Amino acid sequence: MALLTVENLGIGYQTAKGLLKAVDGVNFTLEPGHSLGLVGESGCGKTTIGMALMGLLPPNGRITEGRIVLDGLEISAMSEDELRKVRWNKVSMIFQAAMNALNPVKRISAQMVEAIQVHRPEVSDEAALTRVEGLFNLVGLPLERLYDFPHQYSGGMKQRAIIAMALALNPKLVIADEPTTALDVIVQDQILKETKELQRQFNIGIIFISHDISIVADVCHQIGVMYAGQLVESGPAEEVFFNSKHPYTQALVSSFPTLAGPKTKLAPIPGEPPNLTGTIPGCRFCDRCPKDTASCKLDHPQWQEVGPGHHVLCDHC
Amino acid sequence: MRKYVLKRLVQVMVILFCILTILFVLFRLAPGDPVTRMVDPEMTPEESQHLIEQLGLDKPIWTQYLIYLKNCSTGEFGYSIHYGEPVARVIWDKLPNTILLFTTAVLLSAMVGISWGKIAAWRKGKATDLGLTIAALVTHTLFLPWLALLLVWIFAYQLNWFPITGMISDDVWLDPEAGFFTKAGDVLYHMVLPLTTLFLIHFGSYLLVMRSSMLDTLKEDYIVLARAKGLTERDIRNKHAAPNAWLPVVTSVGLSLAFSINGGALTETVFSWPGIGRELVFAVSHNDYPLAQASFLLISTVVLMSNVVVDVLYAFLDPRIRY
Repeated sequence: MALLTVENLGIGYQTAKGLLKAVDGVNFTLEPGHSLGLVGESGCGKTTIGMALMGLLPPNGRITEGRIVLDGLEISAMSEDELRKVRWNKVSMIFQAAMNALNPVKRISAQMVEAIQVHRPEVSDEAALTRVEGLFNLVGLPLERLYDFPHQYSGGMKQRAIIAMALALNPKLVIADEPTTALDVIVQDQILKETKELQRQFNIGIIFISHDISIVADVCHQIGVMYAGQLVESGPAEEVFFNSKHPYTQALVSSFPTLAGPKTKLAPIPGEPPNLTGTIPGCRFCDRCPKDTASCKLDHPQWQEVGPGHHVLCDHC
Repeated sequence: MRKYVLKRLVQVMVILFCILTILFVLFRLAPGDPVTRMVDPEMTPEESQHLIEQLGLDKPIWTQYLIYLKNCSTGEFGYSIHYGEPVARVIWDKLPNTILLFTTAVLLSAMVGISWGKIAAWRKGKATDLGLTIAALVTHTLFLPWLALLLVWIFAYQLNWFPITGMISDDVWLDPEAGFFTKAGDVLYHMVLPLTTLFLIHFGSYLLVMRSSMLDTLKEDYIVLARAKGLTERDIRNKHAAPNAWLPVVTSVGLSLAFSINGGALTETVFSWPGIGRELVFAVSHNDYPLAQASFLLISTVVLMSNVVVDVLYAFLDPRIRY
């Protein structure tokens, strides 16, 4: 059975200009111990999906259609109290802004112990601390820094502490939302490698959210490319990265520099994503698409299978 | 930390020295002559001359200044002209009354203001928030003597629920049968109106400061993490948001503790509360120089010291602040 099933998910934000459909008709599944990378530019809905998986949509956001089923539990139909028991226990999160995600006036040790004891009140302080020490060893943080305050940590250490915290209760799913964006490339590389290793070791499912398709291709089994609230291409990581079919994915791949291979000019993607408050007929990418045809603007594109497990939401690929 | 506190204390001493000097000059410049008040018209010129010499008022101003500094530094503030008692004793007698009233008032309004501020921030934009914010703004902007008189008029004069003035009832305190609790109860009974006045005036500022500080804190990423960890809303508010929202409120409480001693002049006068504030007003209007000087000095010291205490408290509340 799949660890996570997302069916026809739609998420809307109530705004002054009407309902903004941040996520529209997204489907994917994740097997236990597998990782899925969600990529796309800012505002494409990837973080919104991550928050919805935690039941943490902001007050003006709600799931308008579809459902999320995690490990047999229907997240999308849960009350706040039920969600609270699932959070961190079954699904934890490594935050986008790890720099500020730790409470500045509480010791790291206390914040870690708290995460454990909220869900396992029967665990004694000593036992919880022992567990935290184990987690510190796991993510390569020195034990003597356990009782520090967050401001005494470097950026990389904070990120490791958050990763350690995310693993505290052996969750089945971890959502990593831009976990390394604020770090320099060397620390980023180390942390990504370690994350991959931890995932293998503990058989955790990971949803990896990033705007950097090359990182995602490196870390994840599967890639889902998102554009304007929709999934536009999905499939095995290598397949999507090296053999991308959707014009948007191709543009994403070529907008990042590579170290190896010949120097090529980076290709920015011209134009802007559409406004998501109204209804959009036809393909959402057509205004920026080099393959745009007259029919693209009129008809909703259909999913095409272009390789084993490799799907594209485009009529012309 | 110790070094920092020492440094701050030295600063306090320097500032106190300046204040002493300013006080000295101010009182010499003030209209009215203390000698004419003290010297009995029926005294012989020799006697009055003797008294003036005894007070040192015949000496050159510089010598007077040096004697004054020496006396102040040894805690010798002279005799109150009005009471004929050592100033230190007069102040010592009145100080507990002021401390009792104002510490209670500040702590009460701070506790209520802070907890209501938390609630207002949590329910931002809802009816609770609106009601609390409006109440805080209205009471905070009221003019203290007006509110005090209004309360006296309604609850003491019209309804006769509480005594109009004073701190104790003579019949209770003169009764040899009256035990500790009866007397304490009597003081509390007298405290209700002044306390209510001070509470109404002060809780609003704590509420507003705490509310805005909490609203800033609630936007922080660590609040989202706390929620993601599965904490209850109550724990998020009390254990994660509030400790970060403390700092501005602590400043506010510290300063109002300091200000309450002199702001107390109004409250104590309206309610005839026998404290330092009322004594200060009395001393100034009666040219009781030694008493007025000592009261001013006391107020300055309290203000300066509460600033130091607030700064030191910061370091305990926020680990990022280290001296």
